[in-house]
Amino acid sequence: MVAQFLGLKVRLLANLFRRSPWQVVGIVIGLLYGLALAVGLFVVLVGLRFTGDPVALRDGLIVAGSLVVLGFLLFPLVFGIDDTMDPRKFATMGIPTRRLSLGLALSSLVGVPAFVLGVVLLGTVVTWSRGVFETLLALVSAALLLATCMLASRVSTSLAAFLLATRRSREFTGIVGVLLLVMTAPIVLLALNFDWGRYGLDLIGGLAGILGWTPLGAAWAVPGDASTGLWGAAVLKLLMAGTTTYLLWLAWQGLVARMLVTPGREAPARHYGGLGWFDSMPHTPMGAIAARSLTYWRRDSRYWMSVIIIPVIPLIVILPLSFAGVPISYLALLPVPLMSVFLGWTLHNDVALDHTAVWLHVASGTRGFEDRMGRLVPALFVGIPMIAAGSALSVSVYGDWAVMPSILGVSTSILLTGLGLSSYSSARFPYPATKPGDSPFVQPQASDTAAALIQSFTFAGSILLSLPALACALLGVFVDPVWNIPALVLGVGIGLITLVGGVWQGSLAFERRGPEMISSAIRA
Amino acid sequence: MLELGAAASGQLSAAAETELLPPAVSAATKRPGFKRVPRKRAPVIAPAAIDPDSPVVLSVTGLQKSFGQTVAVSGIDLEVRAGSFFGIVGPNGAGKTTTLSMVTGLLRPDAGSVTVNGIDVWGSPIAAKRIIGVLPDRLRLFDRLTGAQLLYYSGVLRGLDDVTVRQRAADLATAFGLEDALNRLVADYSAGMTKKIALACAMIHSPRLLVLDEPFESVDPVSAVNVTEILQKYVASGGTVVLSSHGMDLIQRVCDHVAIIVQGAVLASGTIDEVRGEKTLEERFIELAGGRKVAEGMEWLHSFSD
Repeated sequence: MVAQFLGLKVRLLANLFRRSPWQVVGIVIGLLYGLALAVGLFVVLVGLRFTGDPVALRDGLIVAGSLVVLGFLLFPLVFGIDDTMDPRKFATMGIPTRRLSLGLALSSLVGVPAFVLGVVLLGTVVTWSRGVFETLLALVSAALLLATCMLASRVSTSLAAFLLATRRSREFTGIVGVLLLVMTAPIVLLALNFDWGRYGLDLIGGLAGILGWTPLGAAWAVPGDASTGLWGAAVLKLLMAGTTTYLLWLAWQGLVARMLVTPGREAPARHYGGLGWFDSMPHTPMGAIAARSLTYWRRDSRYWMSVIIIPVIPLIVILPLSFAGVPISYLALLPVPLMSVFLGWTLHNDVALDHTAVWLHVASGTRGFEDRMGRLVPALFVGIPMIAAGSALSVSVYGDWAVMPSILGVSTSILLTGLGLSSYSSARFPYPATKPGDSPFVQPQASDTAAALIQSFTFAGSILLSLPALACALLGVFVDPVWNIPALVLGVGIGLITLVGGVWQGSLAFERRGPEMISSAIRA
Repeated sequence: MLELGAAASGQLSAAAETELLPPAVSAATKRPGFKRVPRKRAPVIAPAAIDPDSPVVLSVTGLQKSFGQTVAVSGIDLEVRAGSFFGIVGPNGAGKTTTLSMVTGLLRPDAGSVTVNGIDVWGSPIAAKRIIGVLPDRLRLFDRLTGAQLLYYSGVLRGLDDVTVRQRAADLATAFGLEDALNRLVADYSAGMTKKIALACAMIHSPRLLVLDEPFESVDPVSAVNVTEILQKYVASGGTVVLSSHGMDLIQRVCDHVAIIVQGAVLASGTIDEVRGEKTLEERFIELAGGRKVAEGMEWLHSFSD
């Protein structure tokens, strides 16, 4: 039975190579990366065998190792991996729970993460091979760690699939993921500015002292404690590690038993009163399309994720620059144009986000102009206040109101040219997008070079078209304030012309290519 | 094998007539009542009730579509007259959905023409689409809208004004038994409810022709009876329904005309009784679709494992 599970997993992995060439290239790169990582770490760990400071080595390994265990535990929960070995898939086969849990747990050993972890753990055995008992303890704790990590990822993957199976929670976990990523940014900055030379060892030593007595770090601490002579602590921590593994095994078995007899969970549906935006928009096709888009921007995580990310982007750009010593007054001028770039760009694949639902527009003979204009409304709803209020804020930080026309001109130009290009590209060149209901982090399988071309064309296009306004603005800020007014005129002018042109061409494309848009959505 | 298009001549004049003739009036004279007894082997009764002179609402000629090397539809001709309930049956992958998509302007044909009420669907799509109601199969809905919002959206996109849409949406919700679900997201609907809201959306602009791809799939029997009744009333007042289904029994009971499509071609078409002859529709269908595969070599299935 176990052999069959392992065989199934091997075949599933092998089938990864039966996809399109580009995906195979991606997989191969991923595999090579994993292999290089494993070999590199192994070499480092073997090298560490000959260093003389076992205390620092132990502490470092405890902290790093605890992060690894935490990663195996959290990654599936936050990002919701698609589980090819979900216990529920075997529910109809009548396999005894115990044997099924064992088979599935062992099958998780076949895979890149387990392989990398295994090689690294072997490396730690070499690192601690400083005596017979130390080596033995290192071997035992390495085995326990491998089991712990695999069981932890199995348990959390299944929990994610089991408890977070509803549409709303799937979207919610994605948001948690983004928030986590955003929150790590300050930690990374803090870490970069930390005086490692002076306090590094103390900090790691303190952390290791705590983590070594938790289930996360206990197993990593065992051989190190033994090597530094703390045999009592080593034995206690080994017991702790063993208990952790055993408890995870029990949890995994219990989870499998529960999952086998529990069908998919349905969340209670929420009720909405009235027609929402449809009430407040004009009762015309264009108004209805605008209301539909506005509703989606609020309800569909694929839209509001990209809106939430927009204010984060200037932060990511500005923080390093400010550390590099660029004066804050100049940096204050950056956020609004930057956000305009991304806001204008959010719509560049809007039709593909509808997926096949766009048939309704095609079947009802919606005019291209109404469709194009309606879809622009949410971006304008967000963009106009953002540019107005954001520019005022930026200029007040900058300290000279003379540059106001410049920043307004550049931002308007970028937003409107972006929207214009998007209006055309989303009708003419839709490419596969994340499907409705999927997590915003799930990328479609069939992304190819065409998608990359369209993305860069629309992204760079709005910046290129805004170069005249940008040039005037730079002259206005650095050379002569006279240039500020031309920046506004050029920016608004070019923006409006591009928008009108984009909507016009986009409307024609939308009406001509309705069936083709549906076909491309079906293929996606 | 039966051939269709008996009244191919005079098709244009018939179509032109339709615009002058209010559907309700023409139907009242041509189709008295719809109380038909479900018949098994009864001779011709109801199907012949359609006047052979009633105008052609949907005319399909030489429709072709290939996807790469695979030919999905190879030269289909159909003629559907006003006030008829036209069923399309065929095995899986026969090209039913492809045909209906091309009829409704959702899929561009390689060759052939489709006219609805005399309007070329691919020549002047906007005018044609105004009089067609569509229920596609396996295409998504804007399911982040509530049922009420989706109905409203479909109505306004079809050019109805605010008051009319609200009135009709309420009527449709009652007729399809969706009142309680109107304020929930369509994404949270069951498959059958999704089908019903999509059907309601297809009808909201009171089209002359309803093209329904698998309208009864995953709809419960009670709702199916409701839907059938709504469609029968619609047909009785001069509307035309073209639907595809796998339920032979249902087609035989509900439709007056049927076309059997196998491998992208029409193998039989006409009134139900013309097509089925002395057999049931199901028997005739299976005969045309290549006959039943006799299950051989499955003897092990009859000796149980314990």
